[in-house]
Amino acid sequence: MQSPIYTDQKLLSALASGDRKVTEMIYQQNYSIINGWLIKNGGSSADSADLFQEALVVLFGKAQDSDFTLTCSIGTYLFAISKHLWYKKLQRQSREPIQLDERLGGDEDEQGIVSEDDINAHHEREVHFEQLDAALEQIGEPCRSLLKAFYHHDKSMHVIAADFGYTNPENAKTQKYKCLGRLRKLFYNMQAK
Amino acid sequence: MSISNNIWEVAEAYVAGTLTESELGELAGRMQSDTAFAKEFNESTQLIGSITASGKNKRFKTMVGEITQEQTSKQKSKRKFININLLPQVWKTAAVAASVAILTSTITIWSLKPAIKRNDSQYTNISREVAVTKKMQAGQQAELKQLREIIKEGNKPTPPPSDVRYSGTGFALTNDGYFVTSNHVIHNNNKSDFDSVYIQSHDGQYYKAYLVTYDADADIAIMKVEKKNFRFGKGELPYTIATSKAGLGSQIFTLGFPNEDIVYAEGYIHAKNGIEGNDQQYTLQLMAEHGQSGSPVIDQKGMVIGILTAIGSQGEGTNYGSSYAVSSKALIDLMHKIPNEPHLNKTNKLSRLSREEQIAKMEMYTFSVKVYKK
Repeated sequence: MQSPIYTDQKLLSALASGDRKVTEMIYQQNYSIINGWLIKNGGSSADSADLFQEALVVLFGKAQDSDFTLTCSIGTYLFAISKHLWYKKLQRQSREPIQLDERLGGDEDEQGIVSEDDINAHHEREVHFEQLDAALEQIGEPCRSLLKAFYHHDKSMHVIAADFGYTNPENAKTQKYKCLGRLRKLFYNMQAK
Repeated sequence: MSISNNIWEVAEAYVAGTLTESELGELAGRMQSDTAFAKEFNESTQLIGSITASGKNKRFKTMVGEITQEQTSKQKSKRKFININLLPQVWKTAAVAASVAILTSTITIWSLKPAIKRNDSQYTNISREVAVTKKMQAGQQAELKQLREIIKEGNKPTPPPSDVRYSGTGFALTNDGYFVTSNHVIHNNNKSDFDSVYIQSHDGQYYKAYLVTYDADADIAIMKVEKKNFRFGKGELPYTIATSKAGLGSQIFTLGFPNEDIVYAEGYIHAKNGIEGNDQQYTLQLMAEHGQSGSPVIDQKGMVIGILTAIGSQGEGTNYGSSYAVSSKALIDLMHKIPNEPHLNKTNKLSRLSREEQIAKMEMYTFSVKVYKK
């Protein structure tokens, strides 16, 4: 079987849309390099699986912005992000004191590829989603399940209408809007606090 | 569509970019004249954007998690034989924060189990926590295979199709199914969070057991095999349970299951009392590992003098290789609380045997205790 040839930019937009084949390919092409590096730097295979997953999520998040373009290959970017995340993790655990800038200074070609901002933006994004989840947990049923079905599990209004026992998708949609209204109130009240 | 319609409908259309020029114009006008509406509308579009992105993010993480598992299991199967050596060293953390989400949940569940109980860093309970992910341990694989075979055979007892969470060791109190193990094997951190407990007897068969009584302070649980007419071995138990405390320096040995195979270890009574002078316990000089909680501690004559409960962590005031056992006296006290108290064997058949023979006899009555949770 011949696999189609992708350019990195095409790969990136496929990754951004959550294409499984492409994600698998990116995983296979890059994981072992990061794993090898991490083992040499005091990590385990479990660490590198963790790290690599997070790096993929960072890239996925960045790629959501259609204006985002890579200034290097996907592999280089993922490697740089993984290193960054690893040094941060070590710092947090303070297993050994590491000056992030010093260590990164050694890899000159990577400077400018990954900035602290990318990682920070990723963390902010995650925190924002967590807050949203917290609000979602509080709105009660059937709203919680309905919104999760639509937004998290990507179910159509037809399926939801059938699952939740609404006579037609239009009614389910009306309910969804009501639920969104409640979520908005809860979420922005929480934010105000 | 008129923007006087449902605000959410408009917001959705706005986010999707399907509003017409004239609708956008109308919207802009309303937002300028009505600040309350503008605020609400902005919040609505932001919320839709966020929850949509959040859902997408979640689906992506789930997918990446699945890919990781597939890829690791491929690699694991290649390296299976190297990993076997590591088997006893990997532990699942006691508290896996549920909030850590899919991103890490399949991966970082292994780390050294922290010392628990009594806030004492020199004291570690030694139940063994077992992999949640089936692929993680070669031994587990073998066990699952065995389970499947048992299930195929149909007429034999079958454990639930959930994963083993903890395992420890147990030994028989009576031949008809009463046995004892450490309470913390089944009640981890004082929570009875198990669905079922099975023992795997010396011939590899699984038998379901129920809890008869327990003493959390002493760390003993008495259980019984559910099966009717169950017998551990052919005759009465070959060993007896000591009713008084053994002396300082007594030579002792133990049998237990730090992994799938039974393991022998020997040592001596290092102090008459346990941690913080606890007189329900002994301090032993004995190398023990996780999974050996609940193992019998036996003296030279084949009397069970205690139940292994914890190992001392390395640190100030503890010797390397020290461990703690609950005195059999505490076990006898607890047995008195059982209505229709089972009769303990009074004849010791081990006293004249060599150590090898003693072990061979004990093996029939010592087994792995597996705690399951869905």
